[in-house]
Amino acid sequence: MTPPHRTQPSLAASSARIFDLSLGQMLWSRRSVFLAILLGGPVLLAFVVRLLSSAARFGTIQVNGAHVAGDAVFGMMIWLLYIRFIIPILGVFYGTALIADEVDDKTITYLFTRPIPRSAVLLGKYLAYLACTVLLVLPSVMLVFFLIVPTGGGSIGQAFPSLLKDFGMLAAGLLSYGAVFAFVGARLKRPLVVGLVFAFGWEPGVMLLPGYLKRLTVAYYLQALVTHQMPQNSAVNTLMQIFREVPSALVSVLSLAVIVVATLWAAGRAVERREYVLDQ
Amino acid sequence: MSDVIAAEHLSKWYGQVIGLNDVTLTLPAGVTGLLGPNGAGKSTFMKLVTGQLKPSKGRISVLGEPIWQNPKIYFQIGFCPEQDAFYERMTGLEWVTALVRLNGVGDRDADAMARRALEAVELLDAANKKIGAYSKGMRQRVKMAQALAHDPDLLILDEPLAGMDPIARRKTIRMIRDWGRAGKSVLVSSHILHEIESMTANILLINQGRILAEGNVHQIRDLIDEHPHTVYIRAEQPRGLARQFLAHDDVLSLKFEDEAVVVQTARPDAFYARLTDLAASGEIGVIHEVTSPDDNLQAVFQYLVKS
Repeated sequence: MTPPHRTQPSLAASSARIFDLSLGQMLWSRRSVFLAILLGGPVLLAFVVRLLSSAARFGTIQVNGAHVAGDAVFGMMIWLLYIRFIIPILGVFYGTALIADEVDDKTITYLFTRPIPRSAVLLGKYLAYLACTVLLVLPSVMLVFFLIVPTGGGSIGQAFPSLLKDFGMLAAGLLSYGAVFAFVGARLKRPLVVGLVFAFGWEPGVMLLPGYLKRLTVAYYLQALVTHQMPQNSAVNTLMQIFREVPSALVSVLSLAVIVVATLWAAGRAVERREYVLDQ
Repeated sequence: MSDVIAAEHLSKWYGQVIGLNDVTLTLPAGVTGLLGPNGAGKSTFMKLVTGQLKPSKGRISVLGEPIWQNPKIYFQIGFCPEQDAFYERMTGLEWVTALVRLNGVGDRDADAMARRALEAVELLDAANKKIGAYSKGMRQRVKMAQALAHDPDLLILDEPLAGMDPIARRKTIRMIRDWGRAGKSVLVSSHILHEIESMTANILLINQGRILAEGNVHQIRDLIDEHPHTVYIRAEQPRGLARQFLAHDDVLSLKFEDEAVVVQTARPDAFYARLTDLAASGEIGVIHEVTSPDDNLQAVFQYLVKS
């Protein structure tokens, strides 16, 4: 036999190898199939809207009685369906399961008995989560864009730059929610429940309240990155505008970066120190 | 050579439950068998030795270094766990290669090392088959391949023969003995004395979280002969097998279960040797699986603890 290789790979190299190992498993998991179906929801909705607006009676789409252009409807869908619903769902279901899946499948032993830091396992799987979710979200958003924007005489060419910004915002959402829920999965018991409560209880709740609590959400920083104008003529929107306090884009980006780095570091530390007792 | 594994007042408990209780021992280089019934603390000891668990009390060092949170030591260790867990959609070659790459090996070298390891466990022909399609014995062997692919100094094998057919079992035993002769150290656990004895005379007896005895324990062999040994054999032709067994007076009883025959024998050595010859001859069709319940050993341990 040739002499064994005994140079410890760096954190980045180890993470890249875990990424290679995990991406295929993640892409073809039952979770991905379920979430791909979920991501088909907005496409189906966009298809229905397109059909209705194509009919003679509906030239443009109306929201709360006001005529709204296709690109504004697309913007609303990005914010309400993707950023506030689908991205947190993806973050919760993948993020909390990064290590838990390997523990449940009892395959974690093979990764934790290799000469790589345990945090590299978490980081590699986090990168695989990002790649996997981008591959799931991208086609859905593209299809919604091409179906919705032309309604009401909207121009795909003119709206395209804002689509790129939306992709950036979605990526920021996936990065942040994934990191937060990776920490929840690494540190807490019942991470799925905690994650769902955070995403759909805590975040929407404190976003409606005045004060500083909303700064303890991811959504607060993401909303500063929204480029689309929302329809403003409903009572709820008027009320929300009173409490709406949006940080600058720079502050948001920096804050999201801090959230990602801090939660990933804490998650990595938790994985390094935790004992995983597998049932025989 | 210095001790391969050294434990000093090593204890591990899970809440109120004691997994391992104040174990002090040193394991020399070579092949050592860890023998104990189910729940004796074998797996806890294996997990402490492989750094998956942190000692609640005491210390453990492997190859002269502490193992907990010391990943670089895994260059020198290969671990074959007990659990039947895999990435089912990967082929055997893809899986072993991916794990070897985690040792910092380049793609081409990792592929070559994985192929060599699969060849060593005689699985190269099935290297490109999905693990999900492997038989129980093949799954055991691919687990062994990932443990030895990076050419470690110490192999830790948790129940490596479980579910293997007689021929694979014989080959694996020979392979483990060969590793020992080649200067490798091997810690192998089992609940079957006969299996361990066929690999090494250096045995560590564990029960209820405590080490009962260590060293060359030939006396245990006499004890096992006094207690009937049960073997479960799942085969293509269980009735044909039973006819062959009945011709020998060491077979005490026989019963049929679905596609299997369960045999009680007074002389496991002779029985396993005959079974392997029968499997190799192909006279009685394919033997899919051979297992032995741990109540064989439990009886011996009860005797030991009482005496």
